[in-house]
Amino acid sequence: MNKENVLLFKEKVQQVKGNIVSDMGGEKVMLNIGNGKYYNLGTIGGDIWERMSEPVEIGQIIADLLNYYDVDREKCEEEVINFLLHLHTEKLIEMKCD
Amino acid sequence: MKKHWQKPTLEVLDMKMTM
Repeated sequence: MNKENVLLFKEKVQQVKGNIVSDMGGEKVMLNIGNGKYYNLGTIGGDIWERMSEPVEIGQIIADLLNYYDVDREKCEEEVINFLLHLHTEKLIEMKCD
Repeated sequence: MKKHWQKPTLEVLDMKMTM
């Protein structure tokens, strides 16, 4: 793990409140009230989303997922961070500073 | 037993809320 990742994993993230979220056939679907856009987070994305109802460290999310899913660490870290960056770009999650 | 992993993706659906 490089130094940038260590710093990133200490960052806390949380859902931006006010979006409308629904389960459709096991997948999480969301309406962003701010921009009127609909999103499908899928099943794993929905699981990650639910873990961010309160501020949580990115490293903690990844550790929990590694315990729950059959995936190697490097693959999990890369895919989860890319997913979180996409959520952040769409203003669906926010970084929380202590 | 651990569950099967799939790459998490954020799919932007091709529809918008209209008022």
